[in-house]
Amino acid sequence: MSRLFEQLGAQGFLLGAWETVFLTFASTLAAYLIGLPLGVLLCVTDRGGIRPIVWLNKIVGFAVNIFRSIPFIILMVALIPLSRALLGTSIGNSAMIFMLVVAAVPYVARMVESSVKEVDSGVIEAARSMGASSFQIVCKVLLPEAKPSLIVGAVISTVTVLGYSAMAGTIAAGGLGSIAVTQARPSNAQDVIWLCVALIVVIVQVIQEVGMLIAKRTDRRISKNKRAKAQRTDSV
Amino acid sequence: MIELNHLTKEYPSPAGTVKALTDIHLTIPDGAVYGIIGLSGAGKSTLVRCINLLERPTAGQVLIDGEDLTHAKKKRLSEVRANIGMIFQNFNLLEQRSVEANVRFPLELARFDKAKRKARVEELLALVGLSDKAKAYPSQLSGGQKQRVAIARALATSPKYLLCDEATSALDPNTTSSILALLKEINQTLGVTIVVITHEMRVVESICTDVAVIADSRIAEMGKVADVFSDPKSAIARELIIPDLIRSVKSRGGNKLRLIFDGTLSDMPIISALAMDTGEAVNIVYADTKIIDGKPFGHMVIALPEAPARAQAVKNYLTQKQVLFKEEI
Repeated sequence: MSRLFEQLGAQGFLLGAWETVFLTFASTLAAYLIGLPLGVLLCVTDRGGIRPIVWLNKIVGFAVNIFRSIPFIILMVALIPLSRALLGTSIGNSAMIFMLVVAAVPYVARMVESSVKEVDSGVIEAARSMGASSFQIVCKVLLPEAKPSLIVGAVISTVTVLGYSAMAGTIAAGGLGSIAVTQARPSNAQDVIWLCVALIVVIVQVIQEVGMLIAKRTDRRISKNKRAKAQRTDSV
Repeated sequence: MIELNHLTKEYPSPAGTVKALTDIHLTIPDGAVYGIIGLSGAGKSTLVRCINLLERPTAGQVLIDGEDLTHAKKKRLSEVRANIGMIFQNFNLLEQRSVEANVRFPLELARFDKAKRKARVEELLALVGLSDKAKAYPSQLSGGQKQRVAIARALATSPKYLLCDEATSALDPNTTSSILALLKEINQTLGVTIVVITHEMRVVESICTDVAVIADSRIAEMGKVADVFSDPKSAIARELIIPDLIRSVKSRGGNKLRLIFDGTLSDMPIISALAMDTGEAVNIVYADTKIIDGKPFGHMVIALPEAPARAQAVKNYLTQKQVLFKEEI
């Protein structure tokens, strides 16, 4: 057992795990606050959307693509001055959350866009035939009908953000990634590195399983084999 | 009353402009069950979507109770749409909402009083016979049940009009009959004017009072169902309404007469009487009669004797008995 392992102890690892979870969820949540409306906007304003505004769609789509193509580690470095200007600091957990949000927003927007696009156009047409406004269609048709797919998208986004959060050590923020890269790597504490890996795997698995379970539980459509079992009364 | 004046709808396409509707002129009187029939691609779905402006016509007017919708503001259009229910071939129910929540949906859109919603939903589900399925989700229902939910939903805001876009095309024959019976009941008891888009003759036959036959983006023929069915004039209407008759006429040489039964004569044994009174035993090439609107209607094709004098005798006899007929070649 390495010296670092003993130094950290159970408390050190738990703190790391907590910081990872905190960074991930805080950033993902904040990213959704911006990314969700942005994704809906991308879908709604697209050609053939419920409110086509092609120029706006093109501009937002272009910006999203630009940000999505920048590797996170480079984006972090590039964001240092902006973080300093906005938050007064470019290191630590709050700076890290800021950077994670900037990286995640475009990703989340595309996720949301693809989920919302899956909603059957016939259902949207039905809502329009009842006199629904575009806003009502978004709130009462697109988002609720896309809910299971949105939840699946959120799980994938969260896991992606968790992956990014491992680079926190670069700007002196915390978490398991930081422990592994900035503390364990220089002293070659293999046991610490592998425990960090194991803990991250566990966290990802828990997010994945719980998220998918929620997606399935809240979906009101019955899968095909479930339908076969379900009692059907074809009295009509 | 729904009036379509010189309605034209064009779509841009890579191969040039495609005309979906050409100069459609149509009046749908209140209380009617108006059938619009045509082959697929004829433009009938575009036509019905022009009525509630889901499709914006390229030219022409859509008048609902005298108000031109093509110039209506967005807010006004929403109000008018609440007065025009619509049902679809694929039902288009909200899959994540229960049956009762689906029926409640248009009431939410129209900001109906919360207390009134529940009572209205119960009333509607009772109307379509699905009170016991209120808590079920669409994926748990059969096609016929889904269409009943869609009908309840379309009627939630008590619309004056109901548009049905191929509403029974995805259903089996028995279910189709029950849905058609429900639509007829809605027309008769609630006085809802119904527009039925279909490619199936039997749908028009069983519930419609009026019919327009649409082909190649134009109205080929229109009128009372009884009139159009007893004597379809356009090629497309004949092809749709009496396809077997056309075939049997073509398959046999010689002069033939098509007897038209318009509801007054068909229970009279006219061929037997003809044989006994004139001594001419004619061959029946084709015969088909149907009950429409409670009256018998139909066609019969007979082969005329070859001798002109004897053929004339047959015609004279039929004229004297007031049987409508046309020569078919």
